[in-house]
Amino acid sequence: MTASIAIQAPRRRQKGRGYKAFRAIMLVLVALVFLAPVVWMVLASFKTNVDIYNSEAAFIFTPTTKNYETVFGQADYVQYIWNSFFVAALATLLSLLLAVPAAYAMSRFVMKKSAVLVLLARVIPGVSLLVPWYFVFSNLRIVGTYTPLVLSHMFVSLPLILYIMMSFFDSLPEELEEQAQVDGLTPIGAFLRITLPLSVPGIATASILSFIFSWNNFMFALVLSGASTKTLPVAIFDFVGYASIDWGGLMAAAVVVTIPIMVIALFTQKYIVSGLTAGATKG
Amino acid sequence: MKHRSIRVMSAAVAVTALTGGLLAGCATEGDEGGEQVLRVTLANHVWTDIVKDKISEFEAAHEGVKVEVTQLGEDQLSDQYNVKLNAGTDEIDVMMYRPLQEGKLFAQNGYLADLSDYVTENADWDWSDFQDGPVEATTYEGNVVGVPIITEQEVLYYRTDVLEKLGIAVPETLDELEAAAKQIKEQGEIAGFVARTGVSAAVTQWSSFLFSQGGDFANDDYTKATLDTKAAKEAYELYGRLIGQYGPANVSTDMSWPDAAALFAQGQVAFYTDASSLYKNLTEAENSTVSDFVGFAPFPAGPEGSLPYNVPSWALGINNDSNKKDLAFDFVEWLTSPELTLEVQAAGVPAARTSVWENPEGTASFPEQLAEVIAIGSKTGVGYDRPRVISVAEAREIVGAPIVVAITGGDVDAAIEKAQADFQAFLDDEND
Amino acid sequence: MSTTTGRAVRTQSSFSLWANRNRKWVLAAPAMVFVALLIAFPLGWTLYLSFTDAAGSIRAPHDIIGFENYIDVLSDTDRFWPAVGRTAFFTIGAMVVEMVLGMLIALLLWRPFRGQGIVRVIILLPLVATPVAVGMMWRLIFEPTIGFANQFLSWFGIPPQPWLAGEATALPTLMFVDIWQWTPMVVLILLAGLTSLSDEPDEAARVDGANAWQRFWHVTFPLVMPTFITAVLLRGIDALKTFDILYATKGKGGGSFHEVETLNVYAYGLSFDYQKYGESSTVLIIFFLMIIGCIWLLTIRKKRSAS
Repeated sequence: MTASIAIQAPRRRQKGRGYKAFRAIMLVLVALVFLAPVVWMVLASFKTNVDIYNSEAAFIFTPTTKNYETVFGQADYVQYIWNSFFVAALATLLSLLLAVPAAYAMSRFVMKKSAVLVLLARVIPGVSLLVPWYFVFSNLRIVGTYTPLVLSHMFVSLPLILYIMMSFFDSLPEELEEQAQVDGLTPIGAFLRITLPLSVPGIATASILSFIFSWNNFMFALVLSGASTKTLPVAIFDFVGYASIDWGGLMAAAVVVTIPIMVIALFTQKYIVSGLTAGATKG
Repeated sequence: MKHRSIRVMSAAVAVTALTGGLLAGCATEGDEGGEQVLRVTLANHVWTDIVKDKISEFEAAHEGVKVEVTQLGEDQLSDQYNVKLNAGTDEIDVMMYRPLQEGKLFAQNGYLADLSDYVTENADWDWSDFQDGPVEATTYEGNVVGVPIITEQEVLYYRTDVLEKLGIAVPETLDELEAAAKQIKEQGEIAGFVARTGVSAAVTQWSSFLFSQGGDFANDDYTKATLDTKAAKEAYELYGRLIGQYGPANVSTDMSWPDAAALFAQGQVAFYTDASSLYKNLTEAENSTVSDFVGFAPFPAGPEGSLPYNVPSWALGINNDSNKKDLAFDFVEWLTSPELTLEVQAAGVPAARTSVWENPEGTASFPEQLAEVIAIGSKTGVGYDRPRVISVAEAREIVGAPIVVAITGGDVDAAIEKAQADFQAFLDDEND
Repeated sequence: MSTTTGRAVRTQSSFSLWANRNRKWVLAAPAMVFVALLIAFPLGWTLYLSFTDAAGSIRAPHDIIGFENYIDVLSDTDRFWPAVGRTAFFTIGAMVVEMVLGMLIALLLWRPFRGQGIVRVIILLPLVATPVAVGMMWRLIFEPTIGFANQFLSWFGIPPQPWLAGEATALPTLMFVDIWQWTPMVVLILLAGLTSLSDEPDEAARVDGANAWQRFWHVTFPLVMPTFITAVLLRGIDALKTFDILYATKGKGGGSFHEVETLNVYAYGLSFDYQKYGESSTVLIIFFLMIIGCIWLLTIRKKRSAS
């Protein structure tokens, strides 16, 4: 055994270096492909409209900060950012509260049909939901408040979180919970004190995705938001006029919309990464 | 019991958060004792930008009234109306809508309040000052359902420097336009002509070609489609040739005005026909590389003369389910007063009042040539630019199909035959 | 950590006893009730409308016409079936690439490396960029005459392409945009699944002399299969309903020749452009049933692979 390992070791080191280089190149390529259009967008936010249309001025142009002045000067972007954030955060939080326990139950008790029922919420096209929901909400006189927005976003987030967490729980061995119950915890207690902490990377992934979907949601916000609860994707259309499109402003607004969520994603990444180290010590 | 307290706590957090959110949102809705909220939805338009600043004046003059404006892009506004008016709502009082695109539909569905009595109340406001064509478009079965606020006409934009360099005179007829476009295209540096090419988008711009050839979409009472007349065929083929043969290579068949205008603004084409309201996309340095070389000409004449459209692109209506119709009309009246209209037009938005057009102040801000062109178009123009039916979107797609076929060089005759049959079936359907 | 002796028996409240005994439904019910409440009315409403000839306005009087809408839609070879074809083509095409690429990239990101934080954040960019703005941006980039894409190609001597403007190239171009935008989501989900795997099986295989491909295909992939299927399900459903980029780039009707009109775009057009509510509801119900059929097929296979 030792002989074969000794022979393997040097080969592995060589392969390691080659693989590392290959991996580095691939990662750079991947990063470039995903990054390039966004870079284009950011560059465009510093151009005048005429330069944006000019493909030859892609990299060489005179920059201007006018677009950002427009974005912050004219509209209530701080309010919109808050609205988007509040709705996305609340919807994600409430969806987690409902979906994570449900995912646990559906995983441990193999409730396939019930899971599909919840998935249906994501299947139904938004077009079907708009008029009936508006009808109900406007009769309840809550259109324009945060409530219908949060509810409609939760509707979309729930199945997402449910399914991600279900597959996560599926891969967690039940022995841990059984052991905890032997130790005197109730089944639900075991779930809360043993399983949940181990699921942090899954929860972080599900949360960030849910938050992103909420943040970018346009259709529901268009119809269910009022003047004071308008969210960012709807506000972006302020730059699309009847007889003119302010491309520069649009790109600047898009960049402004993206930054807060990038910060949040950065923050959440830590939890996903920390899950790595936790997972390594497990098992 | 730590686990139980966690659950209790999280439940409590959830409940407080939800209630908090509910309450936070609630504060903005409803009329609080004494104060009335007038809900107005407007489109993104230069007109809106101008009047929005003045709204506080209205509020000052009407004590206890607050005006809440929701402003959206054209398509989003349309979607909003679709959803909200279908569900039935009293949360919209005043709405800005497109008389030719959705006017008939809204009127037929009973969404628009009857304003016939309101408009004749105030002699100072002068309903008769509004141009005939636009007024016709906001009248349904004898009742006035909207007040037109913005108009547009089709004009010919051209590159003054290119025409000068090649010694071409500004085309006054469609034949001259074709010859000029051909000549420019053959020079090879830039393309000759561009216009909208999208099956639905192009219809309105193509209509001027149709009218100037002496054709129309259908007969007067819209019982018989007339897309297979000689005039219509000429119009289809000419439009197709102008773009397909003398336009940019690889031209997209989905261009709406932003795409077509961009081509002109980037110096890729010499001629461009589209609405007068778009001129700023071409004449302002921050939008256009050719801003110093833009010329404006009246729409070239066909055998029947120069007959571009002169349409009310936007009008103000009142939601029939609104419970504040009187106040709503006060607001509409104020927004469309002669004084405010003059201000609006002086800022570059063609409005719908005759008196304002005749006032030199009202045309001062337009590039001089353009003001003349618009004045000509306003007098001779046709009051509609698309089929005057209820389901306009569908009709546009039917009528526009041969346009795209002509541009791509396909079998125009077959396309016309099919369009005629489809449109006739469509009309039969609507009329029964 | 297991000390079972010496512990007093915990006294549980009756609520706690009840909750733990019935935990299956105590945990699952809130989510299910929530979904059921919000979905019941719209689903019922759409179903009802599909049996009527409602058009113009939902509030206008309309008649119940039984299955006439269904017959009309299912025999419509002009708009409906081509839309079905396009939906299938777009969804399957984009999905396959997204899953393969997603898996590859997730594998690349799996083991820690220097600068992994930055790369993970960059990966998220297409996902977080507002779809509406992204759609309009791609429209600019792909413009045949003045867009950057053809400019880019010209640097390599490749002739300009019609991209979104060509009848045959529009849908593939949009698939590319979709892949760019959504592969990160697949990466994220698969990565979460990969990081929850223990290292033992992989190590054991490595010691046994398996090469990288063998280790992946016979050890890693089967272990991460549940997560993989989850990603397929979630991404697949979203891909079927793709709307934003199609609408932002080609507008109503999916282009002049309906070249990108998928079922969702078609249903939207029927509702918002044509105001044919009866017909659009029918298309939506049929669409809904088709998706359920696909899910059912997939979960049957999942059951089989688990047994």
